[in-house]
Amino acid sequence: MIGASYLSEWVKLKRKTLLLSTFLGLAAASSLFVVLIFSNAPAHGGGGLPSLQQLARPNGLVFGLTRATFLLGVVAFGTAAAQTASEYSLGTLRQLLVRQPRRITLLAGKMLAVMTFMVLATAFAAVVAFIVANVMAQTRGVSTSAWFTSTGFGDLLNALGNIELAVIGYTILGLVIGQFLRSAVAAVIVGFAWLLVIEQFILTRIIPSAAPWLPGISLSTIAGGGNSDFGISYSHGLVVAVIYIVVATVAASITFARRDVTA
Amino acid sequence: MTVTQVTRRTGEPPSSVLAVSTDGLTKRFGDRTVVDGVNLAIPRGSVCGFVGPNGAGKTTTIRMLLGLIRPSSGGGSILGGSLTDPASYLHKVGALIESPAFYPQLSGRDNLKALARLGRIPTSAIDPALGRTGMTDRAGDKYRSYSLGMKQRLGIAAALLPSPELLILDEPTNGLDPGGIVEMRGLIRSFADDGITVLVSSHLISEIEQVCDHVVMIRGGRLVHQGPVAELAARQRPDIVVAPEHATDLGQLAQILEVAGLSVAASPADGTATVPASGVSAADLNRLAMRGGITLRQISERTHSLEDVFFQLTGTDTAMSPGQEMGAIR
Repeated sequence: MIGASYLSEWVKLKRKTLLLSTFLGLAAASSLFVVLIFSNAPAHGGGGLPSLQQLARPNGLVFGLTRATFLLGVVAFGTAAAQTASEYSLGTLRQLLVRQPRRITLLAGKMLAVMTFMVLATAFAAVVAFIVANVMAQTRGVSTSAWFTSTGFGDLLNALGNIELAVIGYTILGLVIGQFLRSAVAAVIVGFAWLLVIEQFILTRIIPSAAPWLPGISLSTIAGGGNSDFGISYSHGLVVAVIYIVVATVAASITFARRDVTA
Repeated sequence: MTVTQVTRRTGEPPSSVLAVSTDGLTKRFGDRTVVDGVNLAIPRGSVCGFVGPNGAGKTTTIRMLLGLIRPSSGGGSILGGSLTDPASYLHKVGALIESPAFYPQLSGRDNLKALARLGRIPTSAIDPALGRTGMTDRAGDKYRSYSLGMKQRLGIAAALLPSPELLILDEPTNGLDPGGIVEMRGLIRSFADDGITVLVSSHLISEIEQVCDHVVMIRGGRLVHQGPVAELAARQRPDIVVAPEHATDLGQLAQILEVAGLSVAASPADGTATVPASGVSAADLNRLAMRGGITLRQISERTHSLEDVFFQLTGTDTAMSPGQEMGAIR
């Protein structure tokens, strides 16, 4: 039954405009980060950017993509929020619920489909970013031999796994906010305002001790394999993010299952 | 004005022959009771019109039948399944709820595909549904490019996907031009010919009269009347309208008719007197007038439409003339 809901959602997700804009948009954004990092990398470090020496290490391949994670997350959040909220604003939810009255099944299928979509989009962006990184490495004279060692591949898979986990987290939060607010525009505005402004520029500066307990920072921590800016360990970020996601998902499920559909 | 609150305990068919039956269905939003103890009894195979003024509770009732809104109290049965378990019957139900709602960026066909997959309906059901609603040629176009009539037809096509035993159509003629309305009427009748039970709400009582064989009337959240349209029509005793040649004779004519034991409503504005047609014929009235030395310039029978009966039942004073019905009864 979840499978039916999953496949149904994919009819919507695989439309050309959404597919191309998301996949190509994320790929372009990730590649841009790679280009900026390689172009501005100093020879021996400093300035908050990895040096050319660091880029030549086994994990040098993933620097650009890791830096782009926040952007990937924001896009994942916005896409997911819009997917859920638009069912209310378009009135399509009533059609869906007539065909699938088991609401949790419907919600689970939709969430899985959107998560898969974002995971694939991120994977595509990663592949493109890695190709761009190889090209940029040639232009800056960075040796890539360490990238293609077993350590390099291990670092790559580890980083990619963490980034995908973070993207899944952002996606779930987006789906939940969209479900609560029932308006795509409101959901995107609230989500972006929280992630980009309230967390990044207000809360973390006014109350730095709150940083390890914020959802966006926790997801960034997962993506980066830890957070040196705020001294947050990977495991702490993972636990906090999972708690947020579980609580948000349960709350959204209960609300969705019980709420009258008047739209 | 008498309002007949109909219950299922008054000689109505047993539930096995009912497609929809509810018992005290009630919905409250806060302190406001939108649907109040409604007992529906809609026979299988009927085309049932669901009428009532704006805010009468029609859409809320339909949404409760479809599991979209949880009843505050009461229950019911749809195609043998309990209202508390919509999954037990919705696979046999097709519905168009208010205005059609689809994804604008998808084609008509893809919109139906999304619904078919969700309902585990074979995608082979899509083409027949599109064909039946005349949407085959435009099925590949984006939904956002459709006219209102095409959107309505796609909505009907979506409702037909599960090969339904019960079709619930909420205002299916909304926004259609006269040609579209006639088409929709034919479509609805064809569903009945296929043995599908159709529950259709409409703001056009005249539409209901033409296409339905059963009617449910609701007002202020309460059931006012339900039963066969024919039964309702039988209750509509026509009036006979007479007009004296000289308007100054109207008072005398009214007096003559009253003396003869008839109930008369004189209208000096248009110089007519109206008499219920029960037990008296046009010839009788002509004879009475002649005996009183009054020549009649008009004797005509005026039949009541379903609209008139609706207003009689719901206690609305002013009957609407044809063409006024659109906004007033919804």
